[in-house]
Amino acid sequence: MPAERYVMGLFSDENQAAAVAADLPKTPWKLQRVHSPIPSQRLAHALKVKKSKVGWFTLAGGIIGFFAGFLLAIFTAMRWELMVSGKPVVSLVPFFIVGFEFTILFAVFGNVIGLITQTNLPDFGDFKHYDARCSGTHFGILATCAEDGQAELEAYFRQQGGEVRVFEA
Amino acid sequence: MNRRTFLKTAGVGSVSVAAGCTSQPEKTIYALVQAPDDTVTGKALWYASTCRECPAGCGVLARSREGRVVKVEGNPLHPINQGRLCMRGQAALQAIYHPERLDTPQLKENGEWRALSWPAAEGLLQEKTRAAAGAGAGRVRVLTEVIGESLTALFGEALDQWQSPPPLVFEPFAYEALKTANRMAFGVDGLVSYHLDQADLLVCLGADFLETWLSPVEYARQFKAMHALQANRKGFFAHIAPCQSLTAANADLWLACHPASEGAVALGLIRKALESGRGQSLPAPLRVSLTTASAPYTPEKVAHLADIPADAFDRLAARLLAAKAPLVLGTATAGSGAADVAANLAANLLNRVLDPELTRIDFAHRHRVETAAPRAEVLDFFKRLSPDTTDVLLLNNVNPVFALPGAGIAEGLGQPGLFVVSTSNFMDETTLLADLVLPVRMPLEGWDEYGGKRALISGLQPAMGSLTAAPGLGDVILRAAFGADPPFPDYQGYLQARLSAQGIVDGERQWVEFLQRGGRFDLPAAPARAPLPAEVPIAFEPVPVAAASLVLVAAPSIRFFDGRGANRPWLCEIPDPLTKVAWQTPLLAHPDTLASHALRHADVVAVRSAHGTLEAPVYETVGVRPGVLAMAIGQGHSAYGRYAQDEGVNPLGLLPPEADAVSGGPVFAAGDVLLTPTGRQMPLAHTDGSRIQHGRKIALTTPLQAAAHDDAHPPKAGLTMADFPLTLPLPEGYDPKRDAYPPHDHADYRWSMVVDLDRCIGCGACSAACYAENNIGVVGAQRILEGREMAWLRIERYLDPQDERKVIFLPMMCQHCDNAPCEAVCPVYAPHHSKEGLNNQIYNRCIGTRFCSQNCPYKVRRFNWFTWQWPRPLNLQLNPDVTARSKGVMEKCSFCIQRIKAAHGTAKNENRGIRDGEIQPACLQTCPTGALSFGNLMDSQSRVRQMVMDRRAYQVMGYLNTKPAVIYLRKVVQEI
Amino acid sequence: MSELTYATIDQTILQTLEKPRPGYWLIVAVLAGGILLGAACWLYQIFVGIGVGGQNNPVAWGIYLVNFVFWVGIAHSGTLISAILHLFRAGWRNPIARAAETMTVFAVLTAGLFPFVHLGRVWAVYYMLPYPNQRTLWPNFQSPLMFDVVAISTYLTVSSLFWYTGMLPDLATVRDRATGLRKKIFTLISLGWTGKHEQWRHYTRGYLFFAALATPLVISVHSVVSWDFALGVVPGWHTTIFAPYFVAGAIHSGLAMVLTLMIPLRRIFNYEKIITVAVLENVAKTIILTGMIVGFAYATEFFIAWYSFNTIEIEVFRYRMFGDYRVGFWIMVVCNTLIPLLFFSKKIRTSIGWLFGLSLLINVGMWFERFVIIITSVARDFIPHAWGLYAPTAIEFGIMIGSFCLFFFLFLLFVKHLPSVSMAEIKETLHEGAPHAG
Repeated sequence: MPAERYVMGLFSDENQAAAVAADLPKTPWKLQRVHSPIPSQRLAHALKVKKSKVGWFTLAGGIIGFFAGFLLAIFTAMRWELMVSGKPVVSLVPFFIVGFEFTILFAVFGNVIGLITQTNLPDFGDFKHYDARCSGTHFGILATCAEDGQAELEAYFRQQGGEVRVFEA
Repeated sequence: MNRRTFLKTAGVGSVSVAAGCTSQPEKTIYALVQAPDDTVTGKALWYASTCRECPAGCGVLARSREGRVVKVEGNPLHPINQGRLCMRGQAALQAIYHPERLDTPQLKENGEWRALSWPAAEGLLQEKTRAAAGAGAGRVRVLTEVIGESLTALFGEALDQWQSPPPLVFEPFAYEALKTANRMAFGVDGLVSYHLDQADLLVCLGADFLETWLSPVEYARQFKAMHALQANRKGFFAHIAPCQSLTAANADLWLACHPASEGAVALGLIRKALESGRGQSLPAPLRVSLTTASAPYTPEKVAHLADIPADAFDRLAARLLAAKAPLVLGTATAGSGAADVAANLAANLLNRVLDPELTRIDFAHRHRVETAAPRAEVLDFFKRLSPDTTDVLLLNNVNPVFALPGAGIAEGLGQPGLFVVSTSNFMDETTLLADLVLPVRMPLEGWDEYGGKRALISGLQPAMGSLTAAPGLGDVILRAAFGADPPFPDYQGYLQARLSAQGIVDGERQWVEFLQRGGRFDLPAAPARAPLPAEVPIAFEPVPVAAASLVLVAAPSIRFFDGRGANRPWLCEIPDPLTKVAWQTPLLAHPDTLASHALRHADVVAVRSAHGTLEAPVYETVGVRPGVLAMAIGQGHSAYGRYAQDEGVNPLGLLPPEADAVSGGPVFAAGDVLLTPTGRQMPLAHTDGSRIQHGRKIALTTPLQAAAHDDAHPPKAGLTMADFPLTLPLPEGYDPKRDAYPPHDHADYRWSMVVDLDRCIGCGACSAACYAENNIGVVGAQRILEGREMAWLRIERYLDPQDERKVIFLPMMCQHCDNAPCEAVCPVYAPHHSKEGLNNQIYNRCIGTRFCSQNCPYKVRRFNWFTWQWPRPLNLQLNPDVTARSKGVMEKCSFCIQRIKAAHGTAKNENRGIRDGEIQPACLQTCPTGALSFGNLMDSQSRVRQMVMDRRAYQVMGYLNTKPAVIYLRKVVQEI
Repeated sequence: MSELTYATIDQTILQTLEKPRPGYWLIVAVLAGGILLGAACWLYQIFVGIGVGGQNNPVAWGIYLVNFVFWVGIAHSGTLISAILHLFRAGWRNPIARAAETMTVFAVLTAGLFPFVHLGRVWAVYYMLPYPNQRTLWPNFQSPLMFDVVAISTYLTVSSLFWYTGMLPDLATVRDRATGLRKKIFTLISLGWTGKHEQWRHYTRGYLFFAALATPLVISVHSVVSWDFALGVVPGWHTTIFAPYFVAGAIHSGLAMVLTLMIPLRRIFNYEKIITVAVLENVAKTIILTGMIVGFAYATEFFIAWYSFNTIEIEVFRYRMFGDYRVGFWIMVVCNTLIPLLFFSKKIRTSIGWLFGLSLLINVGMWFERFVIIITSVARDFIPHAWGLYAPTAIEFGIMIGSFCLFFFLFLLFVKHLPSVSMAEIKETLHEGAPHAG
């Protein structure tokens, strides 16, 4: 399609934004994305977003950590087999604490890796079609349309109660 | 001679010849690149010698590494100390390596000291003595400490050359009263020795034979031979004295009598004995005079005079008369004048009454200190001392200015025209007043001979390369007296010739053996004693002191003796056995005395007597009777090096300077003493956090009956402090009901120590040996106040809260637990359990979290808060086999692991296992009473394994289930 | 907070980031001076030896570890507030969550210094790290101190990441309002966050997991700290109650510190509308709870000591009450258990002055709690002959002052350079459908 136009509808009200977001797919225009200053349940519902997969990374990290902790403790104790306080060289009870802390640590690492990969941050590409108000007061719904459909799209947004910002291609 | 000793002393003095007799001081004495023929760098050589820290004359073995002595131990072959040493003997090294030791002769020119070369100094001495001799007879005088016969003889010959009288022997403690009493009662003008070990009951009128009296190491051993539990019996020991010395603290009964009333008590006992029909075999005149003399001393009178409970006296008398082999000892080393003679005489006579044959008194082996002149003579000597009669005065290792304050010694020495020569190695109070100082070799550096008792002779040989260019005293005298052509090239030659002339050492072979063994101990004894006198002039006037006025008693200290020990850091650092105060000299006073003067513990008081005044902190204790003040002799020097100067105070200044008329002995007590509070307080540098045990399972006792009679049913085992069973650090010590973790095995050895509290007298020799062996830092009074003392082995002293006069001592060192709480808490494995059961501490790995110390129930771990200093050349004493620790690391008792390793080496070379008793940790090695045993618990035949089967065996705080490898045996107590 | 709007929230919070007054820099400079003082004391100690402090035998642990436990304790309520209350969906925690998390991060940093200060040979501290070496020497993972190393470093890492993640949307907000260099910096550190629904989708999920992981972590960390003592044999340390007791104590002190920090903050930055009295009141109410738990723990300790019939335990606790350190003990009891009860009165817990004053007292009390626990126990343990006293020296106090300066120094820098209240979360809690200024 030649010369696509990016039009953003800016809504100060979460409900309006949600309604538009839900309604837009029924229109000929193409919903690109929705920027919001807060994590909005309504928007998420309206957009029917799927559950994030970050959790799987977290879980994997946790499992790795648990074994890493235990194995580290056991391995290091076996090097010289020094006996302390009459306890067996490999005494699992104290090692459990190491295992536990490593579980948490690696789970968090997994979590962070998950976040970074899923949201693919850092990413400075979106600023081309972004309005600063979206991080403060407004919900910005970005849609694209063919050159000729731009006027109607703008009208649609206004009619829904939003302001309109048009980005030059 | 047992094998160990032979090995030890195999290196006959030849190194001494090679390294020891160089005239040039070796600057880098420890870096022995080209070792003398019989030295192997890294391998110790042992030289037999004799301890000269007091007149007792114990035999020592000096351990020499690369030409420097790093440790002295008792010579097992020596009959006096049989391998043991006291803390003063251990500290002898610190005199040799003392930072303020003089290394060149010093000449005083118009008040300024100037260093002299040895030839110049000797030349000067020669010239002066020659001039004196020329000027007339008797113008050269010598005042010396007690010395061996050979040196005495040499002095005699030299003084002949100078037409002067023989040397005068000065000892601050010369036992005049005892000598007088011996002359009167035994017809012996000297100091007989005793066989405490053959007695079954000991009554002591103050003699502190565990500390300084005559021959403390010997008598401590003998005492425990009679007093330790054997075959379910132990001897009884009663001590009668106004103050509780360490000896009194070890008595079964201490009667705190009035000062100077000991004689009355003895007379009371004589009366009882005669009443019960004893002494029939005594010569009639003596029996008669005894009866009349003792008649007035009824139990009531005695109880009144001595102010002791009458029933206690009666029970003591009964026990004494029931005894099979009783022995009565006289008064303390530091006597108190006329009353002293009375007491000693009474003691001697009581011995004659109880045992007319005096079988437990040895007239053949008399103590050499008897050669010391009475105090009166010494005072007279100084009174007459003047340039008109004397030109040259040679002082050999004596410090009269310190020992006789108020006797005008300083003035005497200061007289113009009098040339005073001192042979001391230190600028002490007396040497400061000399004109010429000749710091001659110290005992461990030179040739000599000394017999602490008659009928034995003990050799001294250079055990190390000399730190200074100093010649021996003998050489100096030889050259000074005989000039260019002395009869002998050197004193060694003189000595050897004299001994062979006496048939003691015949030829080179015997000479070598003499040096190897450390002497000849089998000399023909003197003929049997002269018949005991049939008549004894008895004129007693025991003068009880009015309870109103205060009496000050000055007692010689086990740490400093007469004060010569005060510049040895170890002796200052190791706390007094009873007060546990280090570095300071507190004034001991009874709570009542303090109350009556509105004083509190650690208040500083001004003590004034008719003869002097001083200020000291008071120490509250029931170890002295009300109305009596006690203070240790030895500190309070105004010179004598950094460790002695201005540390503590000197009570001698409070005492009457003049000698007692009867015995000619000094009076170590002062009456009518005044105490005036200064309003100041002085924190006492004590190492005990509490004087009592708070009912905890630490130092335990058991009544003799219980120890003797087997109770069929052993106590039921439980989990509380009271009933927790003995759990050996062996697999058998584990019980699933008590232990969460399974038992663990050890490889062949499980090292363990057994401490018999019934044998420990609390003398602290072990602690000193530990300092010497393990390079333990000396921290000083301030750091002790801060709680930073470093002793790996400390003697815990606990008082019985019911009766604080009852004292118990417990040596506390690392317990090498099987389940050591210190180990698991270390993040870097610095402490861990070795395969032989030791609790290893790896200094290099330690990062100083101090968790191990916090978690040690016994608080035996010591942290290096700073890098402790060994001022040169004290560092030369450091044991090369033990790491010297630096700041920030934890340290503790290692069971002398270096010795264990050495034993492993020897055993491996000889392709055998380590024998039981082969390993002797330093503490055990020196213990005069053999209270410590060390060995392998896994060997069912080993001594320690046998001992832990004793019903007295227990573990300190055993209920913590740390399974300590140090097992204690309860002290056995008895009443009458 | 009905009169609040997205716009006013942004405005209130963003204006705190405007150019500070000279007075601010003066205070920062003073604090920096304090830090230098502490550093100088530490250097002196390193060169001369730990002995410049007051520790000795038997009391080998001094106020270095008192401060360590104190700061770790402070560190706790930060995570508690942001993580646990987040899980419980307690909306009132939002206004203070950010500052509390920051407090956590800085407190852990400060606490983390003390083990180093405490070491006798700090230059060998790397022995505690499990790094491969040719002698195959490794740390001893059975040691409570190694538990500490693992737990504290984990806690520092996690709480920092948690803090940063939570701040991401706000960083974007700042970026969009900023100009010049600041814009560049915030563009960078906000990682190009635009708040598009794809990002929120993963973000909310990730944040939830963060909270879910931080919660057990925070409890484990102070349990581990308590086991530094409880795993020892020392009477007064060796008790099973320690883990929950320390956790409660940590939260207690942390909440008090939150009040101590928040009250001046809302005053200076005019946060009254956002950090309302109701919020502070809720904190105060929680303090009542934790205070009672702590008090109950004290009581239990004493009861068990008496009930154990163990003379040594009994002596230690008798000593705490009436011994050489009794003053510290009574300060601890009054400040930690009695003072919080005053919050039962509505008048007091709604009065800013009272809240601030009492929060300070509780901080003092909690410091003394650690002092009493650490010092008195070893000063009076098993062997009476070895008993001894401990008194901190000027050097130790110097380092302690340095640590306090460091903490407030960091916090002061934070409040003027990063949003000290989470804008996104405040907006989230705004009443639905309220009219917004366009």
